[in-house]
Amino acid sequence: MSKSRLLTRAGEAVLLIVLCLIIFGPMTGLALWSIALRWYWPHALPQVIGPDYWLQALGLQKSLAIGAVSIMGAFKTSLIIALISVVLVMAVAIPAGYVLAKYSIPWKSAILLLFLLPQAFPQQPVFVNLLLLFNKLGLAGTVPGVILVHLIVGLVFAVWISSATFKSIPPELEEAARSVGASRVTAFFRVTLPLAAPGLLASAVFVFLTSLDEFTGTFFIGLPFVTTLPMLLYSSSGYNLQFASVIAIILLVPSILFMVIIERFLKAEYIGGMGI
Amino acid sequence: MSSGSPVAKTTIEHRGRGSREWLFPLLLLLPAVGLMLALYAYPFVSSIYRSFLVKGEGAVTLANYAKARQLYLRDILFSLEVSLLSTTIAAVLSIALAAYLRMATGRIAKMVGAVYRLPIFIPFVVVAQMMNTFLAPHGLLNVFLAQLHLIDLKAPLQLFNWKGLTFSFVWKQAAFMTLIVLSGFKMIDDSYIEAARSLGARLPRVIVSILIPMSLASISVAVILAFTSIMGTFTLPYMIIAGEPTTVTVDIAHRVTYFGDYGVANALGTITYLMVSFAAIYYLRYTVRKSIYEVQEG
Repeated sequence: MSKSRLLTRAGEAVLLIVLCLIIFGPMTGLALWSIALRWYWPHALPQVIGPDYWLQALGLQKSLAIGAVSIMGAFKTSLIIALISVVLVMAVAIPAGYVLAKYSIPWKSAILLLFLLPQAFPQQPVFVNLLLLFNKLGLAGTVPGVILVHLIVGLVFAVWISSATFKSIPPELEEAARSVGASRVTAFFRVTLPLAAPGLLASAVFVFLTSLDEFTGTFFIGLPFVTTLPMLLYSSSGYNLQFASVIAIILLVPSILFMVIIERFLKAEYIGGMGI
Repeated sequence: MSSGSPVAKTTIEHRGRGSREWLFPLLLLLPAVGLMLALYAYPFVSSIYRSFLVKGEGAVTLANYAKARQLYLRDILFSLEVSLLSTTIAAVLSIALAAYLRMATGRIAKMVGAVYRLPIFIPFVVVAQMMNTFLAPHGLLNVFLAQLHLIDLKAPLQLFNWKGLTFSFVWKQAAFMTLIVLSGFKMIDDSYIEAARSLGARLPRVIVSILIPMSLASISVAVILAFTSIMGTFTLPYMIIAGEPTTVTVDIAHRVTYFGDYGVANALGTITYLMVSFAAIYYLRYTVRKSIYEVQEG
């Protein structure tokens, strides 16, 4: 009995090691490249390392020798777009999520279907045709145009997560507030909304991250005039691996950090939409 | 996150207050639905409609499809092959991993449970950059294998093709699929598994006869979402595939950015819709029914 138990433990340990190699291997490559000043094969590790690309990227050092520029401009653009997207998306998604959770309304299946379509079909053709539309409207290559695209990408998740959050709040609480004279609006703001706050906050963080990491929509609508962090990462990945790796890590850290915190609020299916 | 029968109570009550009762909720829905109609549904329908139009010709035509077939048939098949292969590998790995996590207890299982999910949170553009450095001819993977004397660095593995793409898709999607499959496995009562084990069933037998058949819904949602996501991903193949063949998503971008040829781009886009249509329709029907059921019946 104990021999087979030992074997099981050994098998588990092997599984953990293989898993760690597969998961952390590519991440290690990124970390090494971000500090590699010289790394010629067949050397297994960089020959010269240093923080130069990090300093350059963060605008703390200006050297023409290593061909990296500051990311601060792109960082600001990304941050502004993400913050505006979050505010707009949540303003629209909270009422919609509430209605879908609590009311029986006509055409409900059709409305649910509309909010599921982006998850079920590839989105790239939609961005291509938005580009046509935005060309006519003068929105292509502008920050407002990119915000509109991020709005659509984030809205779907925000509506589903808010709806699931409102569904989880027992309606008796709102009913009780109304039975002592609170109007429906007061009951919503004083009772339901505070209870839903953690879930809604998770949803807002989720929208923020999808906007920060969004690539395909920004590629079609934003290029070549709107440079967000993912666009800067893409354009430098061809010629400057170190600089691209620095940006990749800067995008990676908030994603992992925030998502580990908010994960328990999210259904598995929504998390799959990350980083399209 | 469904809350059970209390929801049904309000639903009935709201409905009971006369026909004007649904006007207010519809007003609250309007901004979200309006945005989706204008910025999603319209371009979605337009992508299908425009695939039948050729510049300068009024009539509906199949010319774009003929051109797409002539120029990109190899890539269409390539996309389908890579998507099917990646989804299959990721499905097998995720079912095995989820089964392990469902059955195992102890510290190692906890650590495996913490580590496996990391790729879920990593955006595709970062995965692409990671794989760019990891899978390169003199990248970390080849150097590592050479240190183990498994390959010779003078003839490194060439991975910027279907192999590297499949590896990257599996790396990213298997974690997400494990999460969904595991949530299905967790809903199965321990007594079923214990009964089977006490009758002498080994782990593979438990997976095949109990875990999989009782979580078919979760497994199919995981498989469908992974498949459609892989088929629609542009970032990863665009950044790591060198040369041909490549995926349809990359071809669409080329058609638009180099040629301004929206007709063929939309024909290719509609072909990707068709390739995921069976999976997509199953998923839509399943999820809409489930949502309606959750609200009205609890």
